[in-house]
Amino acid sequence: MFRKKHDRLTAGWVAVLAFVLGIETWVTPAAAQSPIKIGASLSLTGTYAALGQNQQRGYQLCAKQMNEKGGVLGRKIEFVLYDDQSQPATGVRLYEKLITSDKVDAIMGPYSSAITEAVANVNEKYKMPMVAPMASTTSIFKKGRKFAFMVQSPAEVYLEGLIDMAAKRGLKTVAIINEDTLFPKATVQGTVEIAKKKGLQVVFVEAYPKGNTDFSALMTKIRAANPDVLGAATYFDDAVAITRQMKELNVNPKMYGVTVGGDLPKFYELLGKNAEYVYGASQWEPELPYPGAKEFNESYKKEFPGADLSYHSAGGYGGCQALVEAIKRAGSLDGEKIREAVLKLDFNTVYGGFKVDQDGFQVSHKMVMFQWQEGKKVIVWPDELAAGKARFPAPPWNQR
Amino acid sequence: MGVTITPTMVGQVVISGLLAGALYSMVALGLALIYGVMRVINIAHGTLLMLGAYTTFWWFRLLGINPYLSLLVALPLMFFVGMLLQRTLVARVVDAPELSSLLLTFGISIALVNVAQLTFTSDVRSVEFLTGAFLVGPFALSKSRLVAFAVAVAITAIAFWFLQKTKLGKAIRATSQSSEVAMVCGINVHRIHLYAFGIASALASAGGSLVAVMVAIQPEMGQVYTFKSFLVIVLGGAGNYPGALLGGMLLGLVEQLASLFLTTQLSEAVAYVLLVLVLLLRPTGLLGGRAT
Repeated sequence: MFRKKHDRLTAGWVAVLAFVLGIETWVTPAAAQSPIKIGASLSLTGTYAALGQNQQRGYQLCAKQMNEKGGVLGRKIEFVLYDDQSQPATGVRLYEKLITSDKVDAIMGPYSSAITEAVANVNEKYKMPMVAPMASTTSIFKKGRKFAFMVQSPAEVYLEGLIDMAAKRGLKTVAIINEDTLFPKATVQGTVEIAKKKGLQVVFVEAYPKGNTDFSALMTKIRAANPDVLGAATYFDDAVAITRQMKELNVNPKMYGVTVGGDLPKFYELLGKNAEYVYGASQWEPELPYPGAKEFNESYKKEFPGADLSYHSAGGYGGCQALVEAIKRAGSLDGEKIREAVLKLDFNTVYGGFKVDQDGFQVSHKMVMFQWQEGKKVIVWPDELAAGKARFPAPPWNQR
Repeated sequence: MGVTITPTMVGQVVISGLLAGALYSMVALGLALIYGVMRVINIAHGTLLMLGAYTTFWWFRLLGINPYLSLLVALPLMFFVGMLLQRTLVARVVDAPELSSLLLTFGISIALVNVAQLTFTSDVRSVEFLTGAFLVGPFALSKSRLVAFAVAVAITAIAFWFLQKTKLGKAIRATSQSSEVAMVCGINVHRIHLYAFGIASALASAGGSLVAVMVAIQPEMGQVYTFKSFLVIVLGGAGNYPGALLGGMLLGLVEQLASLFLTTQLSEAVAYVLLVLVLLLRPTGLLGGRAT
């Protein structure tokens, strides 16, 4: 991190060395002034540790590269990062500390909707703008808060691609199932709306409890409903179990897609060939042709050899890009002015489109839909980002 | 938004219920055996199931041989693990108040889950072997569940034959009926405890080997089976061995039918409502407690 003591010591040794060797050093204007401090807490330990660490690497790389380009407002950027242990209450305490005691100039969001929801009250109180890259629950940004800004697509549109592709292929009926928790429920509500708008008939909706492993009766009902499309608002374990049990009960929709979990390599590893033809939703994939994405992937691999690269990393980087851009355009570190600038942003980060409405709700970022084809995720929606054609329809299980 | 329920659908879920039920019966028989012989409720029962599932997973991953053959290794292995647990730990709480045995087995369960997390990591694993279904008329019979059903019925039948016909089986039943009288008759009750815990562990691990091919494997997977087995033996009558069979089948059917007629979310609730009703109306279980 950027505030570690040994970093400063190293810097000190470098200066001494430079002096001893008589190397002429010059001070850039950016380094002359104290750096702009951006604060955030991240889930570096606890339940979300792996994902929070990916996001942290996104923040770090963003700061490093921004500084290489000369920083912003003639000053360097410095992140002040703490570990919230995946706990909302800890997050609240840390953001309070960042603003009042560390006196940071701006704030980036933590990992997860739950922690963002909790800490959004803190920065709101101090009128401190917060770009929150890893919160996709709509309600956080629709509560009248003025200083929280969303980066990724909301839960409601996770299955938009599946429904859109189905409508274009003239399919008529859709069944939707979901884990009975906040995020998947929002996905179902959104999907029902989208299906109605696109002229598809929703023939079956049912939730199942978290941790459910037996989907036999649910699959029996879906087989009876015989939908053209099956959409499942999942996490990971359930996405795997549902796919297996579809085969066991010979449920054969022409299209079948899942939300969260289907994008992990593990999904294919566990299901093998049975994952073929399955559609999945993703906020971001490394091969998407967003401006700077290729360079981001390369420098990420160089900076953090062997480290995991996921949408959390790109989202952290992209969110940081948006904040820095807003500070640049505002020409000031005043909270109100940065807010005005964020609301006017309409540009592409490595993470995709960024534009928020007056509430700070994201309206430009696009979800993509991929399909597992021969062990690879091939992006098939939307058309302008697609890398291949969807294999349609999925053949019945007994003919594969 | 739902669907109209047809007789075919009912038939399908009855099949699913029976397939699941046989497995519940076999696993719960182990729990019933330990309770019957020692009056110990083994909270770690599902954890032993998890160890069976991992045995099958590693067997398949490392050797690539038919995962069902891992039963030949897992059963004897877990029989000895069970005896070891009994010898070193559980034996100390057999005659202690019930809370002691609950705490002990709860502790064993936590410890084993943590050991599994450390050695196997908490990554979700699976044995991708017999996926898909046999299609019989309008019904789909899951291949892996059908095999699990057949194996569970066979193992349960062997266990019953053993309890009914062999000398050791009779001694186990005698100990369940009355520990003191059994002792007076010259039965080495401590040895019986050892065998009972071993057999129960083997039954749990057999369940684990069979579900390994059906569901995802992870260190916490056993807990749900502890709860289900507990439900089954209370339904059937704690310590009553044929009762465990009946309870298992009943639980399988009730879960599936409730999922069909109500929702998947309510099916677990229905199972527990049934439990409360049985406790209120027939506190000794459907077949009465402790009779063998």
